[in-house]
Amino acid sequence: MRAVLTRMGPGGVRLVAALLAVVGVFAVPLVLQSTFTIKILTFAGINVIIVIGLALLFGYAGQISLGHAGFFGLGAYTSAILTTTVGLPWILGLVAGTAVAAAGGVIIAVPSLRLKGHYLAMATLGFGEIMRILFVQLRDLTGGPDGFSGIPPVSVGSLTLETSGADFTLVWVVAIVLLLLAANLGGMRPGRAMRALHGSEIGTSACGVDISRMKIVVFTISAGVAGLAGVLYAHVLGFISPTNFSLNVSIILIAMVVLGGPGSLAGAVAAAVVLSLLPFLDAFVPGVPREVSEFIQSWQHDLYGLTIILVMLFLPRGLAGGMRQLVRWIGRRPSVEGDTA
Amino acid sequence: MGFDEQLAQFVFAGLKSGAIYALMALGFTIVYAATGAINFAQGEFFMLGGMLAVWSLDALGVPLLLAGLLAIILTSLIAVIFEELAIRPRRDADPLALIIITIGGSMLISSLARHAFGPNELPLPPFTEGGSLHVLGALVEQQAVWLWLLTALAVAGLTILYSRTKFGLAMRASAVDREAAKLMGIDTRIVVMVTFCLAGALGAIAGVAVTPLTQTAYSVGPSIAVKGFSAAILGGLGSPLASVLGGLILGLAESLSVAALSSEFKDATAILLLLAVLFLRPEGLFRRSRREKV
Repeated sequence: MRAVLTRMGPGGVRLVAALLAVVGVFAVPLVLQSTFTIKILTFAGINVIIVIGLALLFGYAGQISLGHAGFFGLGAYTSAILTTTVGLPWILGLVAGTAVAAAGGVIIAVPSLRLKGHYLAMATLGFGEIMRILFVQLRDLTGGPDGFSGIPPVSVGSLTLETSGADFTLVWVVAIVLLLLAANLGGMRPGRAMRALHGSEIGTSACGVDISRMKIVVFTISAGVAGLAGVLYAHVLGFISPTNFSLNVSIILIAMVVLGGPGSLAGAVAAAVVLSLLPFLDAFVPGVPREVSEFIQSWQHDLYGLTIILVMLFLPRGLAGGMRQLVRWIGRRPSVEGDTA
Repeated sequence: MGFDEQLAQFVFAGLKSGAIYALMALGFTIVYAATGAINFAQGEFFMLGGMLAVWSLDALGVPLLLAGLLAIILTSLIAVIFEELAIRPRRDADPLALIIITIGGSMLISSLARHAFGPNELPLPPFTEGGSLHVLGALVEQQAVWLWLLTALAVAGLTILYSRTKFGLAMRASAVDREAAKLMGIDTRIVVMVTFCLAGALGAIAGVAVTPLTQTAYSVGPSIAVKGFSAAILGGLGSPLASVLGGLILGLAESLSVAALSSEFKDATAILLLLAVLFLRPEGLFRRSRREKV
């Protein structure tokens, strides 16, 4: 197996993985009987989309956002209002939701990324709180604390996604496309510049990269991606309310990115899937009793908080770094006696 | 009620929340000075103060005064434990790593509090019974006077500690340059530990003092943390006095925005002020513009 993988090279592995993913995206809804399970997997896919954007920000620009639930909500409410209240087609809602969230990103990023350090985190925290307050208080537009209901399902022209299986496919196709884009970004000039940024800001700057502009671009992309996820969320669920976009949601997203590890898209995606599915463990792992899932659900916020702390303390490179260490450790094992290193 | 009385009422309301924000801002400022990081869990110390006071009163049955004191001591203890277990191992890491840890800590502490004390809002009786006082035509609760008194005591105590004691000197020295302080024989480990203890106490004092006015719940931490942080930024994350002024200004601004506009966007006022200061004057309202010294 290993030999085959080595011969294929990373490009080949990636291609096979992408092919498998595409097959999975269409096959899963056919194989799985339970609508509930498909829905859970769909929401996991939406989390994956947001986390891809956050991982770009964290891994490549060395910044965290405490307000991504705000961008997520901005996308969701923008599209909900435009399609439901105004009556525009979904595709316009999608474009507008993404664009408005990205614009929000620019507004926050331009002033705060000129400053070093923790200011972006705090500015995004403020942004997220303002968004939440607006979602609650602008009752005429958003429905207030009771939420916004009756959002139509995704439709393009005469094609309407009626089943949860179709939603699943749409969400995961978007997730995979974004993942491929983000992965390729890592290898191209902007991606290299971003990684260099995380390594050394001064060094990168000396190489002629405009750091502030780079960071603003990354942040805008990640805000736009969160907005896009919000649009999908609104139309898949049909109902949104301010609690879906609270600070807790932003922190859970951070837990996913941190668990994944900085600079690793694969790790972030894996962490997003694991943490999204964990509260519904019994639906995915045979033999796990319902009580276990109920226990996890009741303690999930404690778990997320603890995860963040433990990963930062003991696994600062996240799941991805942990896996690499494990592989190295297993590989090294046999020669331990003869090798003092 | 005439215009003057109404204005006085709003000013007192502003000074009431301002005192809370001042205590929170102090907590942020001293931890920032000692570690270079924003302690996002500061709001949870506020929450724990109120919750533990309610718990001591109801479950342990101790008198109110003792319950408040116990809550402050226990919260300081929890703050120290948090620092020792979660911050200390990575104390020399990038501030971003520490901030992320405190974000996790905030969520962990508030969720544990929900499991320990339940999801409901909990009340605490006022320190002294009796009606409100009439000051300048406005009504001021007796509890508000207690709040101001405790705030003043805490600020005075902290100022004396910082400016008059050897330990305060060590704290100020390690705030300026941790490495240099270490070289001068200052145990920065102890400094950070004591700082967290004080930050816990400051948060808890605010929580204990304000719970009789507002009630409390497991989830109040983050929103009060945002306010306290805003106040700290207004004050420039510098001297204790600047933090207190930042808190009072924020409280007054909020209260006057309620008077001028409406109460719906009261919480947004603080954040808009925070963003405005972050973007326009990141060095705070009182400091002269920051110059990098060579």
